[in-house]
Amino acid sequence: MAVLTDQQRFETWAQYMRENAAPIAVSKPDLRAAVDAIDTYLNDNAAAINSAIPQPARSALTTVQKALLLTAVVAKRYIVGV
Amino acid sequence: MATVTHTLFPEGAQFLTSNFPAYLRNAGTNFPVSGLAYDASTDEAAFWKFIATSYGSGNLSINLYWYADTASSANVVWEAQISAITPNTDTQDVETDGLATLNFVQDTHLGTTGQRVHSCTITMSNLDSIAAGDLCHLRIARDANGTSATDDMTGDAILLLATIAYSDT
Repeated sequence: MAVLTDQQRFETWAQYMRENAAPIAVSKPDLRAAVDAIDTYLNDNAAAINSAIPQPARSALTTVQKALLLTAVVAKRYIVGV
Repeated sequence: MATVTHTLFPEGAQFLTSNFPAYLRNAGTNFPVSGLAYDASTDEAAFWKFIATSYGSGNLSINLYWYADTASSANVVWEAQISAITPNTDTQDVETDGLATLNFVQDTHLGTTGQRVHSCTITMSNLDSIAAGDLCHLRIARDANGTSATDDMTGDAILLLATIAYSDT
């Protein structure tokens, strides 16, 4: 899978700004750079993340299911009280 | 010589069918705060109409009172455009009338407190040949995509109030 298209990255950036309710102290270009960097990182490390999932879940879960699982773990680890 | 002022409330705004700022009303701690929330990534616009009562000459000053929803730094760009129609004289169809070229201002968040109130002024020099008694339509937009100048402030810019001021001489 390639990185997100420019339009998809734009949509991610725009959605984040619309949904974010907490004070934020970076500019729009800096925030967009963060979106791009995270997307690139996930693209570069997708295989490693997938390999970290033990069997039988790795084979039994679909890509979407594994993405939702990753989202759930990230949310539990880092998104507290939001 | 006096200055004529019109006050534009968010409650009086009109919108096209897309790309318009959301009307919001925050309960506040001690009083309600209403405004129009202009998006950070898509240009959005709101419209008001007024009569150019006692307009004399010169530019219009569009004074904007705004605050940031979540940002505490960077710049926001506001745009304004006007259409002026002289009743009983202009034969222009009001429903298809155009707006004069926009004027804009870039304002910088002053920091310290994210939701502090800022004010800035667009000096409107593109007046569409405005004359006393004209029916005017005013468009106020955020230049979120930075066409006129750099708008790099994240999150919504919330317009609390605007005023139009001009000289009667």
